[in-house]
Amino acid sequence: MNDYKKSLKLAIGQNMGFTVATVGLLLLWLLYNILHPGGFSSAVLIQNTNESVVIVFVAIAQTFPILLGGLDLSVGAVMTLANCVASALMSGSPIQILIGAIITLLTGTAFGFLNGMIVVYGRIQPIIATLATGSIAIGLALFIRPQPGGDVDGDLGWALTNDLYELVYTYGWWDADAAWFSPFAWIPVPLLIIIIVGFGIWLPFKKTVTGRTIYAVGSSESAAFMSGLPIERAKLTAFTMAGFFAACGGLYLAIQTSSGNADMTQAGSYTLNSIAAVVLGGTSLFGGVGGAIGSLVGALLLRMLSFYFRIMSIDPLLQPLIEGVVLLVAVSLGALRTLRTKNRLRLFR
Amino acid sequence: MKRLIALSLAGVAMSCSLAWAGPEVVSGPGVNPACFSPWAEDTKYFQWEEREGPFKIAVVNGFVGNGWRIQMVKTAKAFAEDPAIKDKISEFKVVSTGTDAAVQLGAIEDFINQGYDAIVTIAVSPDGFDRVIRLADRNDVVLVPFDNVLDTDKVMQVNEDQIEMGRMYAEHVLAVLSSQGKTSGKLLEVRGLAGNSVDRDRSRGIHQVLDESGGEWEVISVVGNWDDGTAKKVVSDAIAVHGEFDGVLAQGGTNGVVQALLDTGHPMVPMSGEAENGYRKALAKYATDGLKGISIGQSPGLVAISMKAAISALEGNVMPQLISVPLPVATYDELKDGTNYWSDLPDNFFTVNAFPPCDVYISGPSIMAQTEDNS
Repeated sequence: MNDYKKSLKLAIGQNMGFTVATVGLLLLWLLYNILHPGGFSSAVLIQNTNESVVIVFVAIAQTFPILLGGLDLSVGAVMTLANCVASALMSGSPIQILIGAIITLLTGTAFGFLNGMIVVYGRIQPIIATLATGSIAIGLALFIRPQPGGDVDGDLGWALTNDLYELVYTYGWWDADAAWFSPFAWIPVPLLIIIIVGFGIWLPFKKTVTGRTIYAVGSSESAAFMSGLPIERAKLTAFTMAGFFAACGGLYLAIQTSSGNADMTQAGSYTLNSIAAVVLGGTSLFGGVGGAIGSLVGALLLRMLSFYFRIMSIDPLLQPLIEGVVLLVAVSLGALRTLRTKNRLRLFR
Repeated sequence: MKRLIALSLAGVAMSCSLAWAGPEVVSGPGVNPACFSPWAEDTKYFQWEEREGPFKIAVVNGFVGNGWRIQMVKTAKAFAEDPAIKDKISEFKVVSTGTDAAVQLGAIEDFINQGYDAIVTIAVSPDGFDRVIRLADRNDVVLVPFDNVLDTDKVMQVNEDQIEMGRMYAEHVLAVLSSQGKTSGKLLEVRGLAGNSVDRDRSRGIHQVLDESGGEWEVISVVGNWDDGTAKKVVSDAIAVHGEFDGVLAQGGTNGVVQALLDTGHPMVPMSGEAENGYRKALAKYATDGLKGISIGQSPGLVAISMKAAISALEGNVMPQLISVPLPVATYDELKDGTNYWSDLPDNFFTVNAFPPCDVYISGPSIMAQTEDNS
């Protein structure tokens, strides 16, 4: 028992940023629901998760390159590309829709792999390489969808952006009003998607040699090299994973809006917000510290701000300003650790 | 318990899901056709169930960061305080979501969840609103996109006819030119943001009239992005390259166009333009020198018409699905300081805020008086 307590304490101590972010998120969410006229209802939870899914996926995508100590400026663009691919392919019979979804995910994954190849074998700084490939992704997206549009299956969009009840009801898998089902029926599908895809891939991946190597490279690339870790494989995998998760975001956006939109400003804002979310979630921009679950929490925190704008009366022209200030304060809190370092030189390593 | 109620409500809603709640398609004519005039002859008519006021109304703006949008937000707030509708609104909220579609959709859904009666919005994309339209219909919320409207006929929308605006621009300039005895010549067209449907439609209208006129018009087109700075630069360049023009057909950034004429010493010629205060000031000042212009604009006051339309719909009136707001036109000889332009307000203020058929009169000073108070 004592051991258990000790290890919990250690885990919290080692993940201070993450812990603070999670506790903060829970408190903010509680307060939000108390203030909201329809608080603690399934509808509000559905709305909250729907609004957050895409940024959560893009933030998770961004986590991998940042853990390496790099940065991926193409995640927003790859998300947009996937969104446009999905909008072109996701209609017709269920099989066609499924194939469309798989091609969408493959597109993003392949794009991430390409990023990795350029970084590893081209030996170009990730920030420059992805800046360039990001433009390529937007270009492709514009080529596929010069004007916003597309026709993603409407029933699918409706079913996947609601609670389980609607999902089951829309497709008639079983009696949606069955007594055994009602305890789960209120759970929002987008929440399940985030949890299953996010946790399901991240947790096992983190434990693999490749996963550990990503952390090692972020902490000290030379030490990782000396230890004989598969550095190239880790880098390739990190960028490929970034592409995959960005594509998940794009796919969901297509389902949510039942269309595709090669919007350059939107892609840019997703990239920047993803970096903010990763930092908010306790991941260090220097690499080696943090994780995807933290980014998930960070992305939710980021969205929580806009939730508050809608239940409180804040001047619309002041909202971007407030958003910026809150973000700055939150990120500064994360940087407080620098005050505790014993040797200031450590900050410049 | 709450969850159970919500669930059973959802169940009831689902059981009648085939017959969507929301507006009923009825036959026209609608209420107050002078103000809420249908877009075309085959425009559908909607009717929502009449309900008791006062209503909760939200405005969900997308991008914020140019003068037009800021003025739109201020107009919305000023109009909500207008004695004509103040008593009909119990709660009024404005949010700007940025260009992120997911956030804008989320905001609309959130206001539906909060029990708002009507949501007025400028869509960030002409597509992708199917889900919130379904939700709005299910919860009997009136959703009113305006300005950047949606590619759907399932919601009530408000806009100005951009092709007609382009036509009037060209008709005015050609009329003035013909009164000077010119039926052919060289014209400068200053276009807006490339790829935008508003730019496309205004230009289309202009060229329709030029083609129909039968005159030999040589048209030089430059792209001014509706921005004063860009327009000034491209117009100066065009004058440097092509020499003198007989007329200018601008559709935005008009302050910059006039400034370029002045700076290059180009003679004052008939022109068209948006409804910027600076442009109207210039028209009043230089009309006698030959700057015989027409000013028609996409008014930030569209938000007020949209709010009015939303309230009218909530009161159970028959409304056209696509509302064409009358174009606010002013020519050089109709300008009056303090009425349709203000010599004491900034140049980039958009002047057209009065729509007499709709009883919407929001004066410039009352908009400018809206500060950064809580909405």
